[in-house]
Amino acid sequence: MFIALHEIRRAWVRFALVVTAIGLLVFLILFQQTLQSGLITSFVGAIEHQSSPVLVYSVDGLCNLEGSVILPDVEQDVRSVDGVGVAGRIGQGTFSVRAGGQTTSAAIVGFEDPRVGAPTTLVSGRMAAADGEAVALESSADEGFGLGDTVRVEPGGLELRIVGQASEIGLHASPTLFTTYGTLEEVLASSNPAARGLAPAAIGVIPEGGVSDAQLVERIDRAVPDAEALTRADAVTSTPGVAQIQQSFRLIFLLYGLVIPLVTGMFFLILTLQKAQSLTLLRAVGASAGYLIWSLLIQVVTVMVLGIGLAVAMYTPLSSRRLGGLPLTFQTGAVVFWAVALLVLGILSALVSMRRVLRIQPIEAITGAGVTA
Amino acid sequence: MNKTPNPPSATDAPALQLRGVRKVYEVGGQPAVALDHASLTVERAEIIALVGPSGSGKSTFCSIAGGLLNPTEGSVVVAGEDITGYDPRRLSEFRQSTVGFVFQSANLVPFLTARENLLVVDEVGRRTGAAARRRADKLLDELGVGERAKNMPNQLSGGQRQRVAIGRALMNEPQLVLFDEPTSALDTATGEQVMELIRSEIGSRGTAAIVVTHDERITRFADRTVHIVDGVLDA
Repeated sequence: MFIALHEIRRAWVRFALVVTAIGLLVFLILFQQTLQSGLITSFVGAIEHQSSPVLVYSVDGLCNLEGSVILPDVEQDVRSVDGVGVAGRIGQGTFSVRAGGQTTSAAIVGFEDPRVGAPTTLVSGRMAAADGEAVALESSADEGFGLGDTVRVEPGGLELRIVGQASEIGLHASPTLFTTYGTLEEVLASSNPAARGLAPAAIGVIPEGGVSDAQLVERIDRAVPDAEALTRADAVTSTPGVAQIQQSFRLIFLLYGLVIPLVTGMFFLILTLQKAQSLTLLRAVGASAGYLIWSLLIQVVTVMVLGIGLAVAMYTPLSSRRLGGLPLTFQTGAVVFWAVALLVLGILSALVSMRRVLRIQPIEAITGAGVTA
Repeated sequence: MNKTPNPPSATDAPALQLRGVRKVYEVGGQPAVALDHASLTVERAEIIALVGPSGSGKSTFCSIAGGLLNPTEGSVVVAGEDITGYDPRRLSEFRQSTVGFVFQSANLVPFLTARENLLVVDEVGRRTGAAARRRADKLLDELGVGERAKNMPNQLSGGQRQRVAIGRALMNEPQLVLFDEPTSALDTATGEQVMELIRSEIGSRGTAAIVVTHDERITRFADRTVHIVDGVLDA
């Protein structure tokens, strides 16, 4: 502690610079993690935060509410699969609506049974239960989708009253409404009187007691060839575009995950080489190699902890804001994961410096060779 | 009843006993003898000047006597402790407790103050805390650099840096202090002041010292002069 902390105190400018560099890099990771989460939530939050643990699409629907159409015989077959406890229709469409004095497009999701397909993240008001009622995406409140507002479907003029707000239920990065299935049928009829009824986009299913979600998925897939069942989590990641977003961000995270230990490792290697004579002197007066390694580790951990602390301090206020139309949230899991991962990587990055320290021979205090080549 | 005489205790034993010490290095695949069957006894409170030209084996002698290096042959006993064949860890512990060093260059840690350069000896060794702080202050005062205790090494003159280094060498209350060319980087007047200081500080403590030098003028500060040429001592 003595050597490590005194050196940091005396050379605080260089340590402050490396802490700032690490802090900025970690901040970028955390911010982009939040950005990724915000993007995915705005695209498929309606699937992630609805009540049905298993969703059944048509086999050619590409795991997408927009593209999936469940025909009546398929619906009947799904409902009759052994292990299905509760099943209910889920419909979806994108419509032009008039809200807050503006005409915009909104995604509307209709659920037949609130146990399968209703939003699970209600933050104010109540669930839509009657005709003409809707639960809206909380972050769209300023755009005319606030609690008590009325949204008019164009053309046709059908009015929907916002009776509740839920967080993270966005679909296709649009303002999103959840209504009863009957209300969604009325919306379709109002906007397109020529439409011949509303076919469900998916069937929401709850397994009966003793059957797991995965077991039920397997049974449905085996029993109904024209259906594709997915657990809620799989439905999220299987939605077209989500995997590509995750893959792109994974590549960015990988690069940062390499750059940060490289910066740390290079910094401490240069520092070790610069103070080779001092380390040799300390070895000569009786400091063990373990003592010098321990001092190095204290410095690495101090730099990483301060860097991560700086990053979290910058990230916290930014993570509660909106970026364009994208709501951001503080990702506690991401902070913990990256803090631990980067701390471990930082320590590993100092292995080269540790090796240099171990190669220092105390006799070089007399021969003046410094660190052995 | 016959009594067996007690073996000499560590405090009664000579500060250094080298017996038939040989050190052979491998240079370009060929053996090179740096120290050839050297034998020397240094008594307590004795100051020895070890004089020899460059490459004569002075540094090797100093390294073996101070536990920085193991000999190829022979035995090394410092203050009654036979350190022949000690592994690196035990040699570190030995250096922490028994010897002090003043080197020719790189004598002080540049990011520690004069006082902290003394305290670091306690930090890597016994860790006595407050007692060490008192001892460091006392040593710096005695060496005439007490008012420079909070200065960094680059704020000290060459002579002041050597005084601090002497303080560091005495910090662990050693039995033997090894000085490797302690005046080579100093002008003549400062060098003489440093040697007088070594003489008085070492003499007052009853500690033994070996001053390695190639400067014959230094020998007048020593109790005895030993010459070394091509690894052979003329003790």
